[in-house]
Amino acid sequence: MNAMSPTPSKAYDLNFARWVYENVDGGDRMALCMQCGTCSGSCPIGTQMDHGPRKLFMMIRAGMKDAVLSSNTLWNCVSCYNCVVRCPRQVPVTYILHDLAHVAVREGYAQAKESDNARFAKAFWWSAAKYGRTDERLVTAKYYFSFGVGEGIKRGMANQKIAMGMVKTKRMHLGMPHKVKNTGELHAILAKAAEMEAKKHGAK
Amino acid sequence: MSETTSRSRTIMVVGGGIAGITAAVEAAEAGHDVVLIEKSPSLGGRVAQMNRYFPKLCHPTCGLEINFQRIKKSKRISVFTFSEVSAVKGGPGGYTVTVKTSPRHVKANCTACGDCAKVATSEVSNAFNYGMDSVKSAYLPHVMAFPMRYVVDPSVVGTPEGEAIKAACPVGAVDLEQKDESFDLEVGAVVWATGWRPYPAANLTAYRWTDIPDVITNVEMERLASVDGPTKGKIVRPSNGEAPKRVALIQCAGSRDLNHLAYCSRICCLASMKHAAYVREQLADATVDVYYIDLRAHDKLESFLNRLKRDPQVNFVKSKPARIEKSEAGGPVVCGENTLTREVYAEPYDLVVLATGMQASLAAEGQPSFAADFDDYGFVFAEGDSIAAGVASGPLDVSMSVQSATAAACRAIRAVTA
Ligand SMILES: Cc1cc2nc3c(=O)[nH]c(=O)nc-3n(C[C@H](O)[C@H](O)[C@H](O)COP(=O)(O)OP(=O)(O)OC[C@H]3O[C@@H](n4cnc5c(N)ncnc54)[C@H](O)[C@@H]3O)c2cc1C
Ligand code: SF4
Ligand code: SF4
Repeated sequence: MNAMSPTPSKAYDLNFARWVYENVDGGDRMALCMQCGTCSGSCPIGTQMDHGPRKLFMMIRAGMKDAVLSSNTLWNCVSCYNCVVRCPRQVPVTYILHDLAHVAVREGYAQAKESDNARFAKAFWWSAAKYGRTDERLVTAKYYFSFGVGEGIKRGMANQKIAMGMVKTKRMHLGMPHKVKNTGELHAILAKAAEMEAKKHGAK
Repeated sequence: MSETTSRSRTIMVVGGGIAGITAAVEAAEAGHDVVLIEKSPSLGGRVAQMNRYFPKLCHPTCGLEINFQRIKKSKRISVFTFSEVSAVKGGPGGYTVTVKTSPRHVKANCTACGDCAKVATSEVSNAFNYGMDSVKSAYLPHVMAFPMRYVVDPSVVGTPEGEAIKAACPVGAVDLEQKDESFDLEVGAVVWATGWRPYPAANLTAYRWTDIPDVITNVEMERLASVDGPTKGKIVRPSNGEAPKRVALIQCAGSRDLNHLAYCSRICCLASMKHAAYVREQLADATVDVYYIDLRAHDKLESFLNRLKRDPQVNFVKSKPARIEKSEAGGPVVCGENTLTREVYAEPYDLVVLATGMQASLAAEGQPSFAADFDDYGFVFAEGDSIAAGVASGPLDVSMSVQSATAAACRAIRAVTA
């Protein structure tokens, strides 16, 4: 298995298509896609994707690496699984999009750093990795402040009322963050996983 | 099979659709005794339920009528309606087949005068029209039924209505005492010609056939367009009886789908071309949108497809719709992605027709263990001792079914004369 996806020698490079078939989670089923459009038509936010899964899959087949890895389709998927349930060829669309998002992060594509969903995913993971739990309050704060201190405060103030409502109805708590019993063990497990991942893909 | 078992030269054909009828007639005319076993009250199968059929858009009487005549003339064919096979023992040349029959409650001396129906008061769902309307509890299965004999529904047995029906028959043909029966037949070969059933539209939950009345299936469309159908041949919206102005035909509804039928049903693209033609002939203002993955016109039938492509009121949209939603007025809204323009659409229609595919009847019945070998899709794998004709062997149109039936008759004859 190749560590990184191949650097394209041209805009259309079939080596990228082959790499996706072999390395991306669910990529092996992509050859079965018959371009019917059920996935993109099923997507609740399909109109807000630049390409949508069906077209993205055709772009992968055509070897358009840069266009694929900088597509907002990878980031706008909300994991509703409508497409996976309905796809007549049982292509695991959601898995493929998520794994391609990982590839885009690993390979430093701009969308992967700047998109809203990437920021939120990072904040979510920060809490999950640190405490073994997601703490609504901290995840939200972390996400807001990823846009800068000024923007963070602005967004926080704008949503204060919602936050108070959530506290009142016990949907969000104030005190210490929730965490698992033994965070030390969790951190050791994650460190090991990161080490294995790095060996597999080569860190960047 | 042991050496002492006696050999039979009789051929059994299971299923009396166009394929079973053809196999039976061919074998009989070649000099063999044939038993034809049909589950429903009449021969003719799904072809009898069509409005018209390609390639020439004939009425089903052409094709069926002549074959019914051939059966009548032949002294070698015994027809058992209301019958099914419940067990098969033995092997080629010497099978013992157990046949189960359920009562028609009308004997062979029925003249089809219809006096029984006149006194019947209750109604039962009309299977011939796929339950779109109902018939009297004493009824003729359909206008060209063969045998041309009435049926009395078991629901009236033991009721005053049943007694009235019996009394009304001028030739005493009504027999309310008939019971389920089972008997054994010795035959030398069995031809499976059990055909297909429409893939159940209720399984296609995203297409809402169960709760939006103006979403119908292609087989229902055939009945809607037929003069002997529930609307006397008028294509109307089931919700309000009005003529539709915008009609959508949705291809591959269940076919080519690993969650439903994994294979292409082969005839539904062309069946939908028929449906576009029915609409355009009846309703001058109506437009038809055909939603497709790709259009498959087999054999020499591409000209039929091209004829409709030239019609400016028939549009083709390359897209498999993702779902159908219900508008506020209760009508269907077809939603999906146009794969040529990448536009995500939501189009309201007056009538939506789902091109549901053909599922092998035997597969739907759970592949009885005594029947022949099956392929991965549930069709009979016709090789060796396993003989099949028509759609029981795979998704075929009428002319291909007839060809396969003739081939099956030849193989059955070889099996009983070997
Ligand atoms: C919407 C639609 C439109 C079509 N239009 C056309 C067309 O225009 N032209 C064309 O060429 N083809 C058309 N076809 C295809 C056509 O219907 C088939 O080719 C034809 O019905 C095949 O005949 P058959 O005898 O194999 O099966 P069937 O017609 O299904 O007959 C099978 C018979 O077997 C009986 N049976 C089933 N199970 C049992 C059992 N266990 N025991 C005893 N009897 C049993 C059934 O009651 C039935 O009478 C269309 C199909 C569809 C879905
Ligand atoms: S639904 Fe499946 S087969 Fe259809 S375009 Fe999407 S991935 Fe391809
Ligand atoms: S014949 Fe046409 S509608 Fe039917 S399954 Fe094949 S492609 Fe789909």
